Amino acid sequence: MPRVRVSFRAMAAEHEIVVDHDDERGAREAIDAAIADVRRIEAKFSRYRDDSVTGAIARAAGGAPVAIDDETAALLAYAATCHALSEGAFDATSGVLRRAWDFRAQPPRLPDRSAIAALLPLVDWTAVERTPTTVRLPRPGMQLDFGGIGKEYAADRAAGLIAARGVRHALVNLGGDMRAIGGQADGTPWRIGIRHPRPGPDRPAAIAWVELADAALATSGDYERCFEIDGVRYSHILDARTGWPVRHWQSVSVLAPLAVVAGSCATIAMLLCERAPAFLAGQAVAWLGVDGAGVLRGTLAP
Amino acid sequence: MAATERVAGPGALVAAALALPGVALSPAAQAQSAPDAAFVQFKYLDYRDWQGGGRRMRVDSPGFYAVKPLSDSLVVEGSLVYDGMSGASPLYFNALSGASGEGVRDYRTAGDAKVTKYFERFAVGVGGAYSHERDYISRAGTVEVRAWTQDRNRTYAFAFSGAADRIHTESGAADRESKYVLDFLAGVTQVVNPTLIVQSNVTYSRGHGYFTDPYKLLDRRPDHRRVLAWLTRANQHFPDSGGTLKAAYRYLDDSFGADSHMLEAAWHQSLPQGWSVTPSLRYLSQKAAWFFYGPPVGSGLRPGQPYTADARLSAFGALTPGILVAKQLDDGWVVDLKVEYYQQKSSWKLGGEGSEGILPLSARWIQLGVGRSF
Amino acid sequence: MRRLSIALAAALLCGCAAYAPPQAWEKQYLARPEMQFDYDRLDAKNVQHVYVSKEGAGGGYGVGGGGCGCN
Repeated sequence: MPRVRVSFRAMAAEHEIVVDHDDERGAREAIDAAIADVRRIEAKFSRYRDDSVTGAIARAAGGAPVAIDDETAALLAYAATCHALSEGAFDATSGVLRRAWDFRAQPPRLPDRSAIAALLPLVDWTAVERTPTTVRLPRPGMQLDFGGIGKEYAADRAAGLIAARGVRHALVNLGGDMRAIGGQADGTPWRIGIRHPRPGPDRPAAIAWVELADAALATSGDYERCFEIDGVRYSHILDARTGWPVRHWQSVSVLAPLAVVAGSCATIAMLLCERAPAFLAGQAVAWLGVDGAGVLRGTLAP
Repeated sequence: MAATERVAGPGALVAAALALPGVALSPAAQAQSAPDAAFVQFKYLDYRDWQGGGRRMRVDSPGFYAVKPLSDSLVVEGSLVYDGMSGASPLYFNALSGASGEGVRDYRTAGDAKVTKYFERFAVGVGGAYSHERDYISRAGTVEVRAWTQDRNRTYAFAFSGAADRIHTESGAADRESKYVLDFLAGVTQVVNPTLIVQSNVTYSRGHGYFTDPYKLLDRRPDHRRVLAWLTRANQHFPDSGGTLKAAYRYLDDSFGADSHMLEAAWHQSLPQGWSVTPSLRYLSQKAAWFFYGPPVGSGLRPGQPYTADARLSAFGALTPGILVAKQLDDGWVVDLKVEYYQQKSSWKLGGEGSEGILPLSARWIQLGVGRSF
Repeated sequence: MRRLSIALAAALLCGCAAYAPPQAWEKQYLARPEMQFDYDRLDAKNVQHVYVSKEGAGGGYGVGGGGCGCN
């Protein structure tokens, strides 16, 4: 059965879609439809674009409620569930903390405590006023972002669009968040390597392998955006309640039926630190975590 | 005012995620479980057996199998096997001198085909088989139904097959004889957990007609036979090692009296680069048919009563160690080589009491296979 | 009586394993060829034919192959 593999760039990352399908032209059409939807979601929810929905909501902070469509309302409802299940550690309003944490500065610098303190009042999901058709951020300077949800949502939608065209073997990989339809055409599952969180010359590139069939896999790690000062690593995964990075797991990978569930579970697990195993057990997903000492933990660990 | 969400419980995130537009669980869209890939396979079996130190029988058997989806829900499959047999037919016991050792050369061509239609929760298959040898023709038809639960973790199977065979030897020992057999199968397959799947089948075979072996002196078997077999097998995967334990046990109850216990186990070990190796061991212990009599020839023979001296219906134990090596290549090609060695000895029967005076039978077979999926 | 105890032992062995039928996204191991029972049909056909021609009787695996002159 022919295999079609398309790589593309969106949301500032590399993505790839692989499809095994008898009809090669149909496979390319399915992939094109999926890529078009990924770009649509990027345009609509990107925090880096002024013409996005999130941009419009941020500009109206402290002012009138903004009208939102069903898709945005559904994503906000999902973000609310994540906030509740993570004891408030996952917070879709925590994006403002980026103003204090600059992971690209050279040399790396820790933010002033006063800078964090000034931003914390703007991080408050419980203050967000939601109705089924509107949303309002009560304080000027607040903003919403769908990090940890948006890319994964796009992966699930892409998989759905491809499956709707009769494809039974596909793998959608958006920047490391995967959703598989079926397994490979030869009957074996998709095999995914989990990136070693501390790569080195005498270390394998993959710390473990996971097999996927009709499932999703997402990984959250402290190595994606970070810096080290005096041997201490500061990553981009910030606890919304303190404004400071969490420090427990090097990475957490979650296997779940949907990419959006896998992605948010991985992010929440990083935020919950030592309470992650209990949380993940309650979500009935499979997971693999690399703890601070580099030891593998979780239901997928050997 | 913002509503405070209060959600808890396993799968709370999955439930919330399913409310997102365009997001659905995987195979919800596809109810078909019909295979969507075609597969073609060729195997060559080289079989040899010995008894009492003398080379006895040799079979060279090329075979071919293919399965092809005709649509989303219709699949056709078929096979064709050709056996080229040469050598002496089995000695009935250790009377080496003067016993049948004459050369036999025979050919058998056997083919079968089946069409299966898949619906959302069940599938129906209809098939036929035809086998032709110089003195034996068999025709059979089969109907099978499989049904599964919504989560596909349990499958029920029911099948029924009828065969009509015709035996006619040149020697006149069997003059246009016939045999009719009805077979029934009922089975359940259950996925116990993500790494364990178990299957249990009961087959019941009821035949009447000519069961005698026309090439054996003094062989005269009952004209009806009922066989009940209960097979239970399991595959247990160990993700850490990439190995899978495959085990099976079968109890067989035969109206001829050749009841048997069979136990087999294999370990499939995945290796890098698509290689795999599977060592295996099979043990069978069989009772003698009630009308089996060991040497000397003719002892126990009573006029009008069934009689056989055929070692295949004696009491014995048999052991088959084997090994299979396979490699999956690119582009859907797969190659495999299997070697098995078989030994049948009366002293190996479970609980002793093997038939006396029967020489051990040894056999070995090598099977080379090549296949490709499309 | 011995048959019954063997059957019970087999059932018990199955009972020792955890009963947790998987959801659709947990079936990646079951997708492997070695985890399926009838993956190589031609091999099963050949092997069962050899055993039926050298032993008393066969059965349990399936029905419909028809007969032959070898037993």
